Formats: sequence, structure tokens, C-alpha cells
Amino acid sequence: MRRHPLLWKLAALQVSFCLLLTWLIWTWGLSVERSTYFLSQADQAYLGRYAQQAEEAWQQGGAAGAEALRRQLQHAEDTWAAVIGPHLQSLGTTPLNAEEASHLTFMRKLDWPMSRRLQDELPFVSIEFPQHPEHGRLVLQLPERLLPTGLTPWTHIITHGVAPTLLALLLGLVLYRQLVAPLNRLRDRADALRADDLDNPGLPLQDRRDELGELAQAFEHMAGRLRHSLEQQRLLLRTLSHELRTPLARLRIAHDSDLPPAQLRERLGHEVNDMQKLLEDTLDLAWMDTEQPQLATEPVLMLSVWEALCQDACFESGWALARLPCSLGTDCRVQVHLDSLAQALENLMRNAIRHSPAEGRVSLDGWREGDCWHLRLSDQGPGVPQAELERIFQPYQRLPNSGAGFGLGLAIARRAVELQGGRLWASNGHPGLCLHLLLPAAQECLES
Amino acid sequence: MPTSLLLVEDDPRLREDLQRHFLNRSFRVNACASGTQALNAVQHDRFDLVLLDIMLPGLDGLSLLDELRCQQAVPVMLMSALGAEQDRISGFTRGADDYLPKPFSLAELDARVDALLRRVAFDRGVVRQGESTQVMLDQGCQDVVHHGKAAGLTASEFRLLATLSAHPGEALSKAFLYQTVLHRAYTRLDRGLDVHVCNLRRKLADIGAQHVQIQAVRGQGYILVDTEHA
Repeated sequence: MRRHPLLWKLAALQVSFCLLLTWLIWTWGLSVERSTYFLSQADQAYLGRYAQQAEEAWQQGGAAGAEALRRQLQHAEDTWAAVIGPHLQSLGTTPLNAEEASHLTFMRKLDWPMSRRLQDELPFVSIEFPQHPEHGRLVLQLPERLLPTGLTPWTHIITHGVAPTLLALLLGLVLYRQLVAPLNRLRDRADALRADDLDNPGLPLQDRRDELGELAQAFEHMAGRLRHSLEQQRLLLRTLSHELRTPLARLRIAHDSDLPPAQLRERLGHEVNDMQKLLEDTLDLAWMDTEQPQLATEPVLMLSVWEALCQDACFESGWALARLPCSLGTDCRVQVHLDSLAQALENLMRNAIRHSPAEGRVSLDGWREGDCWHLRLSDQGPGVPQAELERIFQPYQRLPNSGAGFGLGLAIARRAVELQGGRLWASNGHPGLCLHLLLPAAQECLES
Repeated sequence: MPTSLLLVEDDPRLREDLQRHFLNRSFRVNACASGTQALNAVQHDRFDLVLLDIMLPGLDGLSLLDELRCQQAVPVMLMSALGAEQDRISGFTRGADDYLPKPFSLAELDARVDALLRRVAFDRGVVRQGESTQVMLDQGCQDVVHHGKAAGLTASEFRLLATLSAHPGEALSKAFLYQTVLHRAYTRLDRGLDVHVCNLRRKLADIGAQHVQIQAVRGQGYILVDTEHA
């Protein structure tokens, strides 16, 4: 199951943006809108003065005074007005008819929001007498000119247009920082690679724990491979030109000097064999390195492989068979690609024989470790300095005094073993070098 | 009657050298420089063996092989400087009998050619069965029995022992043994035969038939020696 951290990151960003937007429009937009429905302080004071006049008129003139003020008010403001007592009765001379009484069922105070929303009617405002609120109040339908205008288009644009736009811009900026800025850094790195700057320090982007981090890691891996293969290519070219020039130079000299035919043939044969071996080994290594072939495995009896290799090794080196002991029994069966394993083991064995002292022995032993067989090839040679134990597996690396060979044997052996799921490493055995092979064990019941 | 060989190789020097070599071995050689020429030659003449380069101008070796296989079952040995495993495999699946990667030595070429011709003859039953050794080959069970004990050979091991005991005292080349026993061409890194030989030796020793020895002959192959009945 793939994790999708970037997806969640983006989702969280989007969700928080949406929530922020909703909250903004809900609370801030609404409060801005509500605030526009209130009467301004001046208008409140203006209407409050009418209530004061009504109170004074009623106290001084009684019902007639209240009635006179009511008429004057209705006339001045071109609206309906009434002076009402504590029991919602008219303080004027004309009693309230039914329709007028119904106006008293929903009245607003001065500091309440005003709008036409209720039955598309101008609101009725109740203003208590300022001196003695318990004596009564002035009620009037709000004059049209005093009605708050509500939300203007400009305020609307700011609350529902400009603010969300700014938020969206902010979101875009964050998204850009999250997504595109890393890609830009990656592009810069790719440009650096294109300009052959292979040794740039790694991308800090790799530490991100999401898809972009993975991309950066894959990119760095690719750059690493590229660097590795370029180094390999340069090394290959340098080594090949050196290693091929040497036998060619010898051939040239042999050709130019007057050697007897028999000797010339022998020299020719020797040099050609050397060059062919170098070429084959190089191609083998390149094939395993670049193709990473899937090798078909089969159960193989290790003892038989060892015996088969000993046969050739004894022919080549003139060793007695007794100097190549193997303590493995017929129970040691490994699941490998026979030819590759044999090639690897043969290279290890040749290497061991080459570095053995006179009358030295090269022995193979091994033990079972879980699902694997751990095999150990030990020689009695001088061994390898501890610091060089890893370096001997690099192609074309030859330690001082390592004698013949092109430094490919161990590199090929390691590739071959790794291609079939095994491991190969070296340790010092005091005396001599120990080469360790970890190979998958074969299923017991299978017959080779 | 001399063996007739069709040699298809575009490099003139290599072609001449190979032609001279086979003429010296008293083969009848028809040397062609291109696939089209070779196809022409095949249609007019019968050959015992075709030695075919893969990289040819015009009709390449593998296409020529396809054409050839539509017409006759002549043994074909491919030669090529393409060393990759993929080319070896596709060469065989297209019906080549053997594959010789360049560069090769004349000795190797001779060994391969002889093995191939011999196997063809062996397949036709021309080769006389040699007298068998004292181990009992049980053809029915595909196993070997000695003093009443069966060795439990695998099919390949049995074929190996049967082939070796059909030619007692005669060294059989690895190329030939690969062809007849394992039904595949011998390549440089192939260890299959050697491991089968070691397994077979151990199984023979297990049933007390140590006198039947399979000995390696350097540069030639394997030979079956019966030390008791020699």
C-alpha cells in the first residue's frame, strides 16, 4: 500500500482553505452586513428628540398636546406616529383603531437593526419617553429617508469578492511553495547534471517525507547511477586502453623482432589469450551490471560444483587434489544459477590459489544459517589489509603484489552471487583470506 | 565422400582462412559472402553442415536460418561477435544447432564441428554401439544396477552414462556430450556437464561400482574407464 503524504497535505490545505472561507463569509461577512442595518447615532438622537418633545407635549398639554404633536409629526415626517401609554393605549385624543393597534405587536427599539424585510414594510420604532419611560412612548413608522441602506454593492464586493480572492491567492502561494518550488529546485539540479556537474551536494528536498521527497530520492539515485556509470566508463576506458596496449605493444615488438616461428606462435597465442580473457571478463561484468539479468535457479549440490572446479584447477595449477579439501556433505544443496555460481566460485578459487604459498591449501567449508548456506573459502596466503577488504571487489582494482589478472575476478564473482540473491564478502582469517558466500538453500525434496 | 560445408562469412580474410582450413581437412567447401548467395547455394546443393555468421550484409544470418529451416534440416552452427546472452538464446530458438562466439580458435571450431557431425551421425544410428561394461544399464528403469543395488540416476545422468559406455575407452568431447546428453550447445561458462559427471561418480561409488571411472581428459572431454575389465 503506497502512502500518499502529499495528497493528505494538499487535502488538508484545501479543507482548511474552504473552512476559513466559509467562516469568513459566515461571521465576518454577516456581521458587516448586520452592522449596516442599524440607525446611525445621529439618526437615533434625532428620533430621540421627537420622543422628548412628545413627552413634554403630553405632560404639558395632556391628550390634546399629545394629539397635536402626533399630527405635527405625521405631517413633518410624512409617516404614521402615535403616542402610547404604558398599557398600549393612545395618549392622544383619537383611540387606536385595529390596524394601528396591530402596528404595536412588533416594534423595534432604536438600537435594533432596521430593514424592510418584514412584509416589505417600513419598521415601527418604539421610543420610550426619556424622562419617565414608565409613562409612555412614542411609536412611529420609520421615515423612508432614515432607513439604513443595508449592504452597498461595494461592501458586498469587499466581503464576498476581494477577501476570498486574497485568501485564494494566499492558498495559491502556499501550494506553489509546496509543489512548484521543490520542482524548480529539482530542475536546477537537472540543469546542473546537464552541465556535467555531477558532484553537486545532494538535494535537501530528499528529507521531505512525501512524494516529492521520494522523487528527489529517485532523482538522486539516478544521478548516483549516472555518476557511477560514468566513473565506471572512464575507468573501463583507461584500463582497457592500458591493458590492451600492453599485449599489443608486446605483439608489435615480437612482430618486429626476428623470432623463430615456433616462439612467435607461442607469444602470439599467449597475448591473444590474454586479450580475449580481458574482453570476455569485461563484457561479462558489463552485461551483469547493465542488464541485471534474471537468472533461472535450480537446486545444486555444492560438493559436485567444488569437485568439478577442482578438476580444472588441478590441471591449470598443477596442485594435488588433496590441497583443495572440502568439508561439505551431500546435504549442502543451494538454490542458484549453476553457471554463474560456478564462475564466481572458480574466480574465488583461482584468486586463492594464486595467492597461496608453496604447499598451501585452499579449503571450502560451510554451515547452515536459517534459509541460507554460509560457505567459507579459506586460503593460507598473506590476506588483505583490513581497510582494503571491500576494495578488492571493485572492478579493475589490483592491490600491490597481486600478480597476474585484471582485477575483474572478484568483481564478477560478487555480481554473479548478488544476481542470484546471495552475498559475497571477505574477512581476514589469520593467516590468509576468508571469502564468505551466503547462498539461499535449496528445498530439501527436490532432485537435481 | 567428403563432408560438404557451406561457409557464410562476410569478412573476406576470415572467410579465406576458414575455407583453406576446411579444405586442408578435406571438406568440400562452398564459401559465400552474403545471405542471398548462401540461400542460392542451399537451393542448388545439399550440405552436411552450415557455418553461418550472424552479422551479414543484406539478408542477415538469423533470417537466413529461418529460410533454411523452412526447407531442410541441415545442421547449422552460428558464429558471431555478438556475445550477449540474448543473441545466443534467440539463435537456438530459431533452430541453430550450435553457437560459436567470436573470437574462437581453430581447435575449438574443429571440436565443435566434429561434435555436431558426430551427433548427427549418432542420431541417425550410424555409430555402432560399443560393448558394454560390467555395470548393468537398465534401459527400462533408466538406471544403473550393480550387485543388485540401483543408483537412482536422473535422466541426464543416465543418458551421460549410456553415452559414455557406448564408447568405452574413447574420450568424448564436451561439445559432443552437451549435444547428445544435455541437448544443448556448450558455452564457455557452462558447468552443467561437469556437475553431472561429479554427481554420477558419487552415485556409482555409493553402489560400490568404483571400478567404473569417468575420467576427465584435459582439452578433450570425458572418458569411461573400467579398471577391472580393462
